[in-house]
Amino acid sequence: MPREIYLVKVGMSMTEGMVSEWYIPDGGAVKKGELVYALETEKVNLDVDAEADGIVKHIAEVGVNLKPGDVVGHIFEAGEEIPDDFGGAPAAAAPVEEKQAAPAPVATPAAAPAAVSSQAEDGHIKSSPAARRLARELGIDFRSVAGSGPGGRVVEADILAASEGGASVAAASGPEPKASPLAKRLAAERGIDLRTVRGTGPGGRIVQADLDSAGAGAAAPAARPAAASVAGPKPGERIPVKGMRKTIASRMHHSLMESAQLTMDMEVLMDDAVKMRTSLVEEWAPEGIKPTYTDLVIKAVAKALRTHPLMNSQFMGDEIVLMDEVHVGMAVALPEGLVVPVVRDADLLSVKELARESSRLAAAARDGTLGLDDYAGGTFTVTALGMYGVDSFTPIINEPQSGIMGVNRIYDGLEWDGDTPVRAKKMNLSLTWDHRTLDGAPAADFLVEVKKLLESPFRLLV
Amino acid sequence: MSEINVDLLVIGGGPGGYTAAIRASQLGLEVALAEKAELGGVCLNWGCIPTKSLLHTADVYREIAAADHLGLELGKPKFNLKKVVKRSRDVAAQLSGGIAHLMKKNKITVLNGEAVFQDKNTVTVGGDTVVADNVIIATGASARNLPHIQTDGDRVWDARSAMTPTFMPKKLLIIGAGAIGVEFASFYATMGAKVTLVEVMEQILPAEDTEIAALAKAAFEQQGIEVLTGTAVDSVEKSGKGLKASVAGETRAFDAAILSVGVAGNVDDLGLETVGVNVDRGFVTVDSKQQTSVPGIYAIGDVAGVPCLAHKASHEGVIAVESIAGLAPHPLNPARIPGCTYSHPQVASIGLKERDAGDREIRVGRFPLLANGKAVAISDTDGLVKTIFDAQSGELLGAHMIGPGVTEMIQGFAVAIGLETTEQELMETIFPHPTLSEAMHESVLSAYGRTINF
Repeated sequence: MPREIYLVKVGMSMTEGMVSEWYIPDGGAVKKGELVYALETEKVNLDVDAEADGIVKHIAEVGVNLKPGDVVGHIFEAGEEIPDDFGGAPAAAAPVEEKQAAPAPVATPAAAPAAVSSQAEDGHIKSSPAARRLARELGIDFRSVAGSGPGGRVVEADILAASEGGASVAAASGPEPKASPLAKRLAAERGIDLRTVRGTGPGGRIVQADLDSAGAGAAAPAARPAAASVAGPKPGERIPVKGMRKTIASRMHHSLMESAQLTMDMEVLMDDAVKMRTSLVEEWAPEGIKPTYTDLVIKAVAKALRTHPLMNSQFMGDEIVLMDEVHVGMAVALPEGLVVPVVRDADLLSVKELARESSRLAAAARDGTLGLDDYAGGTFTVTALGMYGVDSFTPIINEPQSGIMGVNRIYDGLEWDGDTPVRAKKMNLSLTWDHRTLDGAPAADFLVEVKKLLESPFRLLV
Repeated sequence: MSEINVDLLVIGGGPGGYTAAIRASQLGLEVALAEKAELGGVCLNWGCIPTKSLLHTADVYREIAAADHLGLELGKPKFNLKKVVKRSRDVAAQLSGGIAHLMKKNKITVLNGEAVFQDKNTVTVGGDTVVADNVIIATGASARNLPHIQTDGDRVWDARSAMTPTFMPKKLLIIGAGAIGVEFASFYATMGAKVTLVEVMEQILPAEDTEIAALAKAAFEQQGIEVLTGTAVDSVEKSGKGLKASVAGETRAFDAAILSVGVAGNVDDLGLETVGVNVDRGFVTVDSKQQTSVPGIYAIGDVAGVPCLAHKASHEGVIAVESIAGLAPHPLNPARIPGCTYSHPQVASIGLKERDAGDREIRVGRFPLLANGKAVAISDTDGLVKTIFDAQSGELLGAHMIGPGVTEMIQGFAVAIGLETTEQELMETIFPHPTLSEAMHESVLSAYGRTINF
C-alpha cells in the first residue's frame, strides 16, 4: 500500500496551505528524511520531509490551495506497482489569487523540517540513567559520546569507552579551563561546556556563579554546549548534507546570493544596561524570571524597528513590503543546528513578558517542543555569539527579512573621564542589512537608535 | 605643621589599616597612615594577641594541674599574676614594634594623632594636614556599655581592664557570652575564679551553631563555670570592696564583673558628617568595593560592620586598596569568613549553620573527637566536627568544630569552601594519621553515611 503524503498542519491557526514546490519530481525516488515538498501558508514557509523510502507520486499541483490534512501525494514502496491513472488533483480550496502567489511575507525558519519530523527524536540525546551517572562521575559530557545502545542510546559502556579511549570525546577537545570542583560537577549535570564559560574566580577560574550566569546570562543558548562539542564529526568522515543541514545550507547560501547584504559594527556602552539587568534579575528572581542581555537587545531592536519601518520590511523584487507587526526571531544554537523561534509583537511586550517568552522559547527549542507557531512570521532576527567571546561577526539575513542584529560579548573597555581612562562595560552590535531595501545612512540611524536605547536602558522599561 | 600629599591616607593602624597600607605600598601608591594610639590597633594591643597570651598561660596551667594523669609528678602549680599579665603586655609591645618596622620597610608615613576630615580629600592629623586622593577609614570599634551598667576600670571591667588584672577575683561575673566573654570565662575559671557567665540570648556564642554552642556550655559547666542563658543582669553596684549584682532578680555578690556585650564602630569625632559619609547604627555603610557613600572614601574592618574580626578587616583592606588601584578584587563573601573562639574547648566555624539552611536541602556530617585516636592519646576528647553540604550539588557549605586545636584546623575547611569543593574531593583527600584533623575527614564521610571509625 502506498503511504500518503499529507498537507501538514502547522500551528493551530492554519486553515489552508499549498505545495509551493515539489523537491522530488513526480515518479522520483525519495529516501526517508529527505525533503519532499515545500509547504506554504499565510504565515509560514516550511520544508516537509518524507516519512518513508520509495517512489513519489504527486497529486497536488503547485500553487493550489488545500486544507491541512489533504493528501498531496503518495510514496510507493520500491517494487510496488503504481497504477497509470493514479492520482489526480483534488478540488482546490480556493482559486489562487495573484497576491497570494507571491511568497508569504514571512521567513522560513531554518529548523522547520526538524520540527516536523525529526526534532522530537533528535532534540534530546537518549541515554541510560547509569550512563549519565557514570558520565557525571567521570566528568564526561554524555552528549558528546556516540551511543551504541538501542536507537543510538548512550549506555554505560559508551561512557567507559569514551573515558578510556577518549575517541568520541576527543572531538570536543581543547584545553580544559580552570574550574572549581563544584563548577565542574554542575557543568556536567547541566550539560554546559566549560570552554564556553568565562571564569570570574581567582585567576579567571570558573566558579559556581559563572555557571549561573552562563545558564541564563548572556543569552539563553549559552547553557547549551556549542554544536562543535557534540559528538559526531570525526576527522576523515563524510557527512551527507541532508535534513536540517541541507535546509540551513541552501537558505544561507540563497540569502547571500540574492540579497545585497553587508554588516556594520557599533560600540555600545553597557554600564547602565548591566546595572539594570542585575537589578531586574534580583527583583524578578522570586518569579523565576531571569532577563538576559539578548532580551534587552531584542527589546531595544523591537522598539527601534517601530520608528525605522524600513528595517522591518521585506524586499519583494518590485516592491518593498513594510511589515505591520514587529516579530523578532531569536537564533538558538542546538547541537543539530540553528533554530529561530520568534518573539511575537516584541515591541508590545514589557521586558518582563519578553524575558519570560524568550526563556520559554529557548527551553522549548532545547527540548524540541517548539510549535510551528513559534517559528512563524519573524520580521527581523537577533542572534548572539557574545557568550563565546565574539566581538564582531557578519550574521546572514534570514530571508526575506531585511536585517539581522548580531549580539557580541560584553567586555571591560575604556572610556575617558576628562583625561583619565576609566573602566566601562562595552559591547559591539553587528548589524547586517539588505542594501536593496535601505542604504547605509538609514541603517546606521537604526543602529544608533538601538545603541541609545541600550545606553539609556530605562527607556526599554517604559 | 606640615602639608603632606599622598595617594592614600589610611586612618587607623589596626590589622585592617596596616594591611591596607602595606598592600597599597606594594601597588606603588604613596601612603600615609594615621594612628592615635598604638600601631596594631585593638587586635594586637588590647584584643586578639594579648588574650591569646593569657589563654596560653591558662592552657599550660590546666595541663600541669592534670599532669598526674599523664604520669608526671609536678606538685601543685602556682602562678604569679603580675608576670602572667606582663608577658601578655610584652607580647603586644613586641608585635606593635614589628608593625612600626613594617611601616618603615614599606615607606609608609606614620602620623600620630587624631584624624579629622576637613573635606573629602583633606584630613588633619594632629598638627599635620594630609591631602589624599583616597582615604580609608579603619578606625575599628570600641566595647559597648549598657545603659544601666557602665565599666569603671576598678571592679566593672571592659576587655582592656580584664586583660590587665591586678588581682584574681574569687567570684567573677561576666556579662555577655560572645567570643570575648567566653574567652575571659575560660581564662579566669582556669586560674581559679568562680565564674558566672550570663548571656541574654538563649545560647552562649550566639553567632555559632546551636549544637556546638550547647556542647561548649556543657563543657564549661563541667569545668565549674556557672552558665546562665536567656538571662539579663539588671544592675551592678559597688558594695564595700566588691560588687552587688542583680541577676535574674536575685542579688548576688561578686568581686569583679566583665562587661562584654559587643562593640560599636568608632565613627565619632572623625568629621564624617562634614564630608557626608553615611553611618548606619554605629557603622559606616560601604559597597562591595568597601567604598562609602562618598567616592574616594573607603571603610574597612570593625567600623564598616560586623563581624568584627581582624582577618575580615585585613581582607577588606586589600579589597579597598585594590579597588583604588583599579584592579578588580572579588568582594568579600561573608560565608567564607571563619570565626574562632580560643576558650577551652576551642570553637571554630565557617559558613552555613544548620539552623540557617531554611528550605535548602542539606546533608550534615558529625564526628565526635571521642572516636579520634589522637584526641584520646592527648586526653582531650571533648569535641565534635560538624560539616554541612548542599544535598543536591555536594558543595561544602559550612563547618563547625569544637575541641582541641580546632582554631588551627578550620583553615582546611576555609580553603575547601574557597575552592568550591564538593564532598568528593574531601573524601579523596588523604588526612595524616594520627591527627585531630582526621575528624574533619570522618565528618565529611559521615555526611554521606560512610564514616569508618564511629
